[in-house]
Amino acid sequence: MIQSVGRAARILKALGSESARLGVTELAERLGLAKATVYGLLRTLEAHQLVEQDLETGKYRLGPALLQLGNAFLDNNELRARSLLWAETLAGRAGEAVHVGVLYGPNVLLVHHVFRPDNSLQILQVGASIPWHACALGKAIVAYLEPAARDELLAGTLPRLTGRTLTTRSALEAELERVVDGGVAVEDQEAIVGEAGLAAALFDNRGAVVGAIGLAGPVERLLPDGPAAEAVAAVKEAARGLSRELGAGRLAAPGAGA
Amino acid sequence: MDAACVRRWLGEVAARLEAERDFLTQLDAAIGDADHGINMHRGFTAVMARIAAAQHSVPGQLLKLTGRTFISTVGGAAGPLYGTAFLQAGEALGEHERFGPRLLLDALRASLEGVQRIGAASVGDKTMVDALTPALAAYQLELRMGGSLETAVSGAREAAAEGSRATIPLQARKGRASYLGPRSVGHQDPGATSTALMFAALEQAVLADRSQRFAAGAKRPVSGP
Repeated sequence: MIQSVGRAARILKALGSESARLGVTELAERLGLAKATVYGLLRTLEAHQLVEQDLETGKYRLGPALLQLGNAFLDNNELRARSLLWAETLAGRAGEAVHVGVLYGPNVLLVHHVFRPDNSLQILQVGASIPWHACALGKAIVAYLEPAARDELLAGTLPRLTGRTLTTRSALEAELERVVDGGVAVEDQEAIVGEAGLAAALFDNRGAVVGAIGLAGPVERLLPDGPAAEAVAAVKEAARGLSRELGAGRLAAPGAGA
Repeated sequence: MDAACVRRWLGEVAARLEAERDFLTQLDAAIGDADHGINMHRGFTAVMARIAAAQHSVPGQLLKLTGRTFISTVGGAAGPLYGTAFLQAGEALGEHERFGPRLLLDALRASLEGVQRIGAASVGDKTMVDALTPALAAYQLELRMGGSLETAVSGAREAAAEGSRATIPLQARKGRASYLGPRSVGHQDPGATSTALMFAALEQAVLADRSQRFAAGAKRPVSGP
């Protein structure tokens, strides 16, 4: 490991975790480094536009080059690139917000988000990280993981996010079986009170699960009396179409049957 | 407290939510989905219309009506959470026409329990519980030390405001803000903020109630024979 690169990464993460800007002294204290060291690192990062200095206060904040890198990360995500059209179509058909996510450790990372098409003010959730066991996307993905990978996640920490989060291995195992049986994962206020989700897994040309696409919205609309049949059909169709595009071809994806 | 005082409280909450609507939405835009102010305002506008039509309700019924209205009109997490809080408080007050500081303590406790049952949040998770819990504790402590309803609600107001400000350095562990991980640090929680607003409104309603009763009491001898 290169020490200075590690330190530079810690500076970026510190600046990324606060809305406030940080000065050299604050950063040095927080990271337990000498001020001169931090200053040198900041000057180098600044030269690459990874941080920038506020001229009035002299404090540092994240720089514009990070936005370009973040966008490049998203652009290079093939799943996201391919999902754009399908996600847009699904949002229009269901009248709800659409999320596309991939598994990243024990969390689902949202790589794409289409707003609910009703002109209301909404906040882009791309980059959000949601514990897999609490959301429809995560359950849809994990249901189709190889047994070893699935077991590892089931044996990990399963934090409670609401009164309805499933937090035991046995409850989640039964839930994952339901996902495979129905071809759709249901989230009933398990991540956020009042919010529901419906999601289906996405497969590549080897039939391996690579992510999930789904709807997110108010529980009374998505699960009026159990999952809304039309919404479930729309999610499954989008997942099937997108999987085909990802190369799943005519290989019958588990649970993706009509 | 009686039904008139409860109405005054709810009216004061509605007025404050109208004034703070954009501020709450702004807080929510930073770490949530930018609808808290709008949702709370819409909910309380509906509440005011419904309780105006409920002429002869006792305090418990008014609060239950508030809770039901909230659940049916407010989207997001605020609807079920605040709805449950008001419903539980209403249940605790039962059919009493008037209630004192002890019953209000029961109502506040029932609210917190209801919120925690559906939200599973603890103090420090950066949610409304961070305002509600210290408010309840301060209220209870004030009563134990022999304080009045007035001093107890003042203590609760102060503790709730302090609790909401104390959410700023916290990393969210519940709600949409938790999806942001460390990026949620440095922002005040909108739910804790609206809870603090409700305690400020409660204090104002209780103090206004008292000064009105003093005024009425002072008038009587004058207007008497």
